[in-house]
Amino acid sequence: MSIINYASREIQFKIVYYGPALCGKTTNLAYIHQRINPENRGDLVSLATAADRTLFFDFLPLNAVVIKGFVTKFQLYTVPGQVIYNATRQLVLRSVDGVIFVADSQWEKMEENVESFKNLEDNLAKQNISIDEIPYVLQYNKRDLDNIAPVNYLEYVLNNRKRRVQSFEVISSTGQNVFASLNAVSQILLHKFSKQSDVPKTPPAPVVIPVEPPARQKQNASV
Amino acid sequence: MNAIPCLTIEDVANLDGILGAFLAKAEADLTVVIDRGGNVISQFGDMTVMDVTIIAALAAGSFAATKELARRIGEVEFNALYHQGNGNHIFMNSVDDDTIMITVFGRRTTVGLVRFHSSSTAQKVAELLKALSSGGHGFSFDASDVTATPVFADQ
Repeated sequence: MSIINYASREIQFKIVYYGPALCGKTTNLAYIHQRINPENRGDLVSLATAADRTLFFDFLPLNAVVIKGFVTKFQLYTVPGQVIYNATRQLVLRSVDGVIFVADSQWEKMEENVESFKNLEDNLAKQNISIDEIPYVLQYNKRDLDNIAPVNYLEYVLNNRKRRVQSFEVISSTGQNVFASLNAVSQILLHKFSKQSDVPKTPPAPVVIPVEPPARQKQNASV
Repeated sequence: MNAIPCLTIEDVANLDGILGAFLAKAEADLTVVIDRGGNVISQFGDMTVMDVTIIAALAAGSFAATKELARRIGEVEFNALYHQGNGNHIFMNSVDDDTIMITVFGRRTTVGLVRFHSSSTAQKVAELLKALSSGGHGFSFDASDVTATPVFADQ
C-alpha cells in the first residue's frame, strides 16, 4: 500500500504486469515508454539477462494529474515469468496496488497461463491479498498470431470467476489495447479509494463464457 | 471505500527534521525513506542529480534480493547494505519490517560516519512511522475529483 504525501501532494500506486514467460510483459512497458509523453515518464529500467530475459524486474515510473490537486505517480513493474524465479515475483508483488495479468493467447501456452494465474493467486495470498479484492484486468496477448485460442476459451480458462474482470485483446508489439488495459486498471484503482466507492461498472462482457470448455480447435477469429 | 495511509504536512515536517539533522551530522548528500515495495515515503537532500523514484525501486530490490543470502548464513536479513563506488556510495539500512532508509554520499564523508548516525536516525523514523500507523491518518477523495479519462494517452 502506498502512502500519500500531503506536503508534496503526491500519491503513489504500484501496478504489476504478471504472466507466464515470454507472454509480452516487457513489451507492454517498452511500448508505453516509447509512446507516452516524455514529460510524464521516467526512464525504463530493465534488469535483464544478456539474452534480454527479465531477471529481476522492469520498472517504469509514470506521472499523471488525475486526482484534483495531486500528482499521481504510477509505478509499473513486470515480474520475471520463468517458473524458477518465484521468489523474485513475490518480492516485486510486495505493496502492489493493481495487477495486469498478461496471458499468451497461443494454444500451447494455455497450461502456462493457468499455472501463472494460480501462482499470482498464491503469491498474493502470502501477502494476505485476495485476488477477488485487488484491482486487476486481463490481457489476451499476441492476437495477431495464427495458433491462438478464441477469446471465449480464454475467458473460460482465466475469467470464469465470481467477479468477472475486464479483459482486452492485445497485440503488445503493435500497442493494440496496451493503453486501454493500463487505463482500465488505473481507473479501477483510483475509484477504489474514492469516497463513493463507485468503481466504474465493468462494460458488458464481450463474450459469453460457455458452460463447457469450447472445443480445442484452431480458430483465427475471436468469438 | 479504502483509505490511503496519509502523511500530513506536519508528519512530513517532522520526518524532514529528522532526516535533515541526519544529513548534516553524517555529511551525506541525500537520504530517502522507502517502503519495501519501493515506494518513496520521504526524501531529503540534493535530489537534482538523480531520479529518486528509480533509486527507490532498485534499492528495495537490492535489499530484498540479499535476504535469501542472509538466511543462508543463519540471519533473518542483513540490517544494512553498503554499495561502494569510486566517488559516490549508497548505504541502506532497515528501519522496521516495512521500511528502509537509503543514504547517498560522496567524498565529503565516510561510511563509518554515515553508518553511525543512520542507526539512531532509523530508530527515530521508526517511532514516527509507528505513531502514524496507530494514529489512523487516512485519505480518500471524491470520485468527482478523478479528472482525467483516460489516465494515459497513446501519443
